[in-house]
Formats: sequence, structure tokens, C-alpha cells
Amino acid sequence: MSRFLVDRDGETHLRLAEGMELTKNQAVLAAVGLVALLIVPDITRFTPLSFTAIHRGILFGLAAVGLNLLLRHTELVSFGHAAFFGVGAYAAAVLASQFDVSSGLLMLLGSVLAATAISVLIGYFVAGYLDIYFALLTLAFNQVLYAFVLQSGYFNYSDGLNVRPDGLNPPALFGLQLSSTGYELVLYYLTVVVLVVSLLVMWKLVNSPFGRALDAIGQNRTRARFVGIPVEKYVWVAFVISGIYGGLAGGLFALLQLHVSPEPTLYAFVSGEILFMAILGGFGTLVGPVIGGVVLVYLLVQAPFYIEYYNALTGLMLLAVVLFLPEGILGSIPKIGTGLSRRRRDPGLLREDVATIGSSLRRGVSRAATTVRIIVFGVN
Amino acid sequence: MLEHVLNGLYYGSILFMIASGMTIIFGVLGILNLAHGELYALGAFSAFSIIGFVAGQVAAPTGPVTAIVFGVVVLAGSLATAAVLLPVGGALEAAFIRPIYDRDEVYQLLLTYGLLLVLTDVMKFVWGPSPVDLGVFGGINEIPTTELVGIDYPSYNVFVILIGIAVFAWLVWFFDRTKTGRIVRATAINREMSTAIGISTDRMFTLVFAIGAFFAGFGGAMVSIGPGSASLGMGLDWLVLSFVVIVIGGLGSLNGAFVGSMLVGVSSRVVTPYYPQLELAVPFLLMVLVLLLKPEGLYGAWGEIQ
Amino acid sequence: MLEARDLRKEFGELRATDDVSLTFGETDGEMVFIVGPNGAGKTTLINLLTGLLEPDQGSVVVHREENGGTVEEDITGMAPEDRVGEGLVRSFQIVHVFEEMTVRENVRIAVLSKHDKTLSMRSVDDGHEDVEREIDELLAQFRLEDVQHEVAETLPHGDRKLLDVAMSFGLDPTYLLLDEPTAGVATREKEYVIETIVEASEADGVTTVTIEHDMDLVKEYADRLVVLHEGRVFREGDPSLLETDSELRRVLLGVDE
Repeated sequence: MSRFLVDRDGETHLRLAEGMELTKNQAVLAAVGLVALLIVPDITRFTPLSFTAIHRGILFGLAAVGLNLLLRHTELVSFGHAAFFGVGAYAAAVLASQFDVSSGLLMLLGSVLAATAISVLIGYFVAGYLDIYFALLTLAFNQVLYAFVLQSGYFNYSDGLNVRPDGLNPPALFGLQLSSTGYELVLYYLTVVVLVVSLLVMWKLVNSPFGRALDAIGQNRTRARFVGIPVEKYVWVAFVISGIYGGLAGGLFALLQLHVSPEPTLYAFVSGEILFMAILGGFGTLVGPVIGGVVLVYLLVQAPFYIEYYNALTGLMLLAVVLFLPEGILGSIPKIGTGLSRRRRDPGLLREDVATIGSSLRRGVSRAATTVRIIVFGVN
Repeated sequence: MLEHVLNGLYYGSILFMIASGMTIIFGVLGILNLAHGELYALGAFSAFSIIGFVAGQVAAPTGPVTAIVFGVVVLAGSLATAAVLLPVGGALEAAFIRPIYDRDEVYQLLLTYGLLLVLTDVMKFVWGPSPVDLGVFGGINEIPTTELVGIDYPSYNVFVILIGIAVFAWLVWFFDRTKTGRIVRATAINREMSTAIGISTDRMFTLVFAIGAFFAGFGGAMVSIGPGSASLGMGLDWLVLSFVVIVIGGLGSLNGAFVGSMLVGVSSRVVTPYYPQLELAVPFLLMVLVLLLKPEGLYGAWGEIQ
Repeated sequence: MLEARDLRKEFGELRATDDVSLTFGETDGEMVFIVGPNGAGKTTLINLLTGLLEPDQGSVVVHREENGGTVEEDITGMAPEDRVGEGLVRSFQIVHVFEEMTVRENVRIAVLSKHDKTLSMRSVDDGHEDVEREIDELLAQFRLEDVQHEVAETLPHGDRKLLDVAMSFGLDPTYLLLDEPTAGVATREKEYVIETIVEASEADGVTTVTIEHDMDLVKEYADRLVVLHEGRVFREGDPSLLETDSELRRVLLGVDE
């Protein structure tokens, strides 16, 4: 066995670093994913797929990866992650438009610092709360920020700020002032690097003793406290890390869109979307949120071109995921795989599936109808 | 100053009609209904159609007496509007909320959030994307102003404040004094026990959800009748304000929701004329203050569960 | 030595702990058993000592040997996780373990915490040989090696109890407070659970304070007996009191003779 291949329980694992190992299947999937990421610009050139939409999806996915640290490990539902995304985006925009900073990387640094500061502040208030209360408080703080930015002249109210330092051109990347196509491409590969590094860091983090301590907190807070883990402090730290991911994503978003306004970055809907991305992609996995981000954002960006009622479309998709696909896309792959192969062997199962769906739909409708009848006529 | 306080009470009364439903639904069903603001918005939009229709059946008021007749018709219309929300709420609960009582709260939040999105577009489909104004306020305003300790104040606002208090009183009476109310409370405390003694928890939950929807719709109608208009974004704005109210009052507490609503209403209306940029910040500052001093809320026992 | 000084705790009208003053561990490795009828305030006392509850009145004090003298430290108001650092560790009447982790992972958390390594970023699978060795020892001590890769929630009840206690031992306690370690354990396994705990505490010189309802176990293992009744210390002394003191028997049985 070489340095990179180790044997675990009779299976060959690819060993990237201390404690970071992949099974054969995982390694193949990861390689496919990485290649797919790298050739996105080429794919979109030859297909009608939208490059910007995929790029945006990856950014939101990055924010969802951060949120997933809280959701998967400490089992806390943050319904206010747009706060960090928005703060990151606004930090970049403010540096560009109010301080004439022209370096894109400096703006990103600003995003990270601003997101850190705001998550330290919000985290201080929310770290002691659980369940619905945590969700509610994060959402409330999110709306505070939104309301504040919306009413502030410094942030140019609902119109937002441009991310063009000289009022015309995009920021410089790595000291280069690029043409708009070149800028998009370089920014994309910067995003890919940031994403891959962020995922590796998160992987390392969740497999470290700190990650296990967060798991412990999520599974039994009282016990965690009585094995000597300072619960609130650790949740606070996790919250800040999670916020930094959001801020970084927001900063990249500002660089991509070159304009930042409150509605697409700070509004509570955005928080809901980030949360939904994590669930949609599969919050039990590391990479799932990125997939959820790409899928959902692509849908959200493209849907308005085809239908007027894209909110309802998202809503219905949400209902479907909650009711039928709770483990998300990536989380369900193993299950769907076995389910499909069973059905291939036994086609009769398929008919049962249809019957099950049909009867559950019928039950739902008749239940609703009965309820309406009871309420309207007061009889059963 | 007094006028601002009265404005605050008016504002707080409407807020209470939304927040009370949310707090009751949470207290009994254990679900934080993110779609609750949309039920309120639905009330406002429905009022536009329903009250618009009934008000069209009577002549526009010409003097104080006809104005009062007009007001009564409008009031009847708003009750009809709220009544529409009863089956809507009940059906939503039965069809969507019921399957997820035993799921993790993240799914409960996502599901109600999904309902929020769908409801928004349903309203967009029915009433269009731009705000609609019922336009009966001119008629209502013909009712003479009420003279209170030396100032003239619109009667309609006084009326809404009285309704807010009446709703609070009714809810307290319902949960404390009626048999159904007591059964609902027992169900909230112990579901298994209630099922064991033959109470249909399903029906109780539907009822509670429908009541919550009723008052949210009523509140929406009140706003529609008043100088405001019905718009697609209104649900979310008030939803978040209701959160603030509930955090201040204590989640699940009816008294807390009332006191919280009035506190938020009055403080924001009193501060806004002098510091307009603080309009949105005041409720949240109040919330942070309460969190720091009394993390479980003024009346509640919510917060960290050991 | 761990001392409760005039501890008082009220829940509404009820005084669950009523001016209780006790010391534990004057001799190293002392085994104290707390007995009393339901509602006597046994669990409340442990909650007060370990910081799950704060007393309305009175204090919790730790005495330590330092530089030849004794140092007193008042730990009232200290957070539970910091009391663990003072050597004050507890288990719960209802098993509190990390349900979705394996037995080994559960014990690992405790050992990592003892070594102040929970903020470490080094992967848990590599590079903590000392930690892994200690885990092996603990698993052997509590006879959990065979189930170490089982997920905690799937274990039989007796093993769950042992896991809970094993985690507590992993924290290297000076004082171990056990709230009914045999509650819910089948009668024939009770002896086994207590026996394992006793062996481990004797080996490590741990002072244990155990709430127990099974008087046979108390008689067999107790160095000292504390009887609580209606929030107060009713008797304190040798376990043979259980045989000789008829008033005590009446209180414990809850019947009038």
C-alpha cells in the first residue's frame, strides 16, 4: 500500500491526509464532481445552460455548507443565514463604492471580516437557545439587518450599491484588470478554488475532536455539558465559522453580480432558500448543500423566464421534498439506488408505488374536505 | 403625544390579532407557522373583494348616520372575510401540517415556509402583483371623530383598539372558561392522555389552527378597511413583527402576546415621529433588551430547555 | 473533600432541599450512599452539587490539599462544565449518552474532554494514541469491548448504564455522583453494574456518592449512609443503621409500624 492508499476493513481507501479518507465510490464521485466543476465554463458555452446561474448556485451552496455545520452537527436550525451572506456582499460593495478599493481579494477579506464581526454579535445572543427558538431568533436578527440596510442612505436604500470601484469596470483580480468575459472566467475559477478549500476545511473540521464535540452538543446538550464541554461557547464558535462561510459566499456574490441590493442578499426569503438548499441536497452529507444550491438557484433564476408563479413552484417543491424526499438528493442516492435495482428485478413493486401515492393523495384530499365540511356546516 | 400612543394601540391591536394566533398554534400544536403572515395577507385581500362587494350594495355615506350604517355593513363584511379563513386554515392544517407533527422542526419550518411561498403566489394569481386598496376608508371616516381627553381621534382607530381588546378577552374566556378551550389546553399539555380519554386531538388541532387563521384574517380585514392597502409583501413584514412580539411576551403565552403587541405598537409609534429612521429598529431593540434582561420573555417559560 | 454548606432550594411552596450540610470524601475513595423515600430531595441535592441547579441559599465548597495545607474553593455558581474540571462528575437517573454515536465514540468524547482536546483540529482517527489507549482501558474496565462499535441507542439497558458511568470515569473524577445507577436494570444485573462501579472507583481512588433504592446493595457496599427525608438529613452514619434504627425503617418503607 502506498502513502495514498490504505486498507480499512478489507476495502481500499484513498487517503488524502490524516483522517481524510474516501472509499472507492466516494473517490470516483469526488473526481467526477471536480471535473464537472472545472468544465462548467465549457459546457455552458456549447449548451443553453446559464453559466452565471450555475456560478451563483455554487456560491449559495457554499453558504449552505456553512449553515449545514449548525444543522447537521449541533442540530440547530438557522433561519437567518442571509444575514451573513448579505453582510459579506455589502462589505465588498461598500469597500468598492465608498472606499474605492479596487482589489477583489481585498473585498473578499472585508466580507470575511464583516461576516465574522456580525456572527460574533448575533451568536452571542442566540448560542444559548434551542430548536424553534434558535430558528426564530436568527430569522429576527436577519430581518433587523435587512430593515436597517433598507432604511440607510449609506447603503443606498433598496437600490443598493455598485461593486465597480471606478464606477465602470469590475474590480481587479490578482492585480489584473480583466475584460468582462475574462473576469467572469477568472472569478469562476477563484470560486472553485474557494469552494474546494472550504469543503476540505469543513471536512477536516467535522472529523476533528471539535467536530465530535459539536455532534455531542447536538445529540445531548445536558450530557455534553456534564462531560465538560462548554456548550454555549462551542455553539458560538460554530456559529461564527458558519457565518464566515456565508460571508465569503456573499463577497463572491458581490464580485459576480457587481451590484448588491437588499432583496436578493439579505431578505428573509434568502435565508429560507439557503436552508432549503442544505435539505434539498442532503444535509447529512458534506457536499449535498452545494448540489442543493446549484439545483435550487438554477431553478429560481430560470423559472421567472418561463412562469410567473415561481414562488409557488419553489413552495411546491419544498412541500414535495419535506414529504417525500427528506434526506435530500445526495442523501437519497443510496436508497434510490437499492430501490431502483429492486424494482428492476420486480416490476410489480412499481405498480404498488403508484397505488400508494394515489391512495395517500386521496386520503389527504378527503381529510381536507371533511375538515372544511365540519367547519362550514358544523357537522361531520 | 397622546395621539401617538393611541396610534400605537391601534397598531398593536392588529399585531395582536396575528401574534395571538401564532402563539396559540405554537402552544398547542408545537408548530411555528411561518405561513401565518400570509393568512393575514389573505384576509386583507379577501376583504378587498368581499367588503368591496357588500359595500357596493349600500350607498356611499352622506352624513354621520348613513356613515354608521355603512360602518356596520363594512364590519359585517370583515366578519365574513375572517369566516372565509376558517375553512382555509382548517384545510391547510388537515392536508399539510398534520403529517409532520412528529418530524424534526427543520421540516416543520420548511413546510410552513413552502406554504408561505405558495400562498403568496395564490394571492398574486387572484389579485395581481400590485397592492389593492379597498377605498372604503373615506366612507368610514365620515363617522364623527371621537373626542378623548381633549383630542379628536378617528373613530375607526378607537374601534379597532376596542376590537383588539375584545379579541383578547374572548380568547382568555375561551381558554379559561369554555369546555372546548379547556380540552384544547389539556391536549396541549399531554397529547397521549387526551387521546386516551377519547379526545380527537386531530380535531382540536384543526380547530386551533382555524381559530388562529380566523383572527389573522380579521386583522387583515381591519387593515384593508383602514387607510392601508393589501400588498403581497405585507405577510412577511408582519410575520417578523409577530416573532418579535412573541419573543418579548414569551412563546405560547396569550397574555404575553397581548402585552408584547401593545409594547411594540406603542413604542414604535411614539418613537417614529421623532426619529423616523428608527421605525423598524425599535421593535427589535425592544426584543434584544428583553432577551438580555429576561431571556424567557415577559410571561413565558420559553428559552433553553435543560 | 466536597462539602455542601446549608444548601437550600425551593420550588414554589416546596422546599426540596432544606439546609443540608454534608461532606463527602474525607477519606479518599469513600463510598457514600444516599437513600430516602421518593420526594426526599436526593436528586435535587445532586443537581445542586453538580451545578444543574443553583441553590437559593448556602454554598458548595471543594477542599483541596495544596502545598501541605488545605485550600477551600467556593464553587457555587460555577457552570457545570467547569465543575467537571474540578473533578466533580455525575451520571443521570435516565441514561444520558450520545445516542447516535458508537460506544467507543461516546467514551472518546469524555476522554478528549478530560485532556482538553475538544478544540483540537487534528483528526480524531489519527494522532491521538494516548487517547485511544485510555479508551481501550476504560472499555475493558467496564466490559464494553465487545459492543464498542455498536450505536448507543441500540444497546441493552444495562450496557447503556455502564456506558454512562464509563464516560464519567473517563473524565477522571475526584467525586463521582451517581443518580440511581441501577434504576431500570434487571435485578440479576444490578449486582454486576454496582460491582463494576465499585471496582473502578477503588482502583482510581474515586469518592462516590450514589443514590440507591436497593437496600441490599447499600448494605453490601456503603462506607457511609446518608438518609434524606423531606429535604433534610434524617440520619447519617454506618449502613448498619438500616438494621437497627426502627424509625429509619419506617421512613424508608413509608409505612407506620
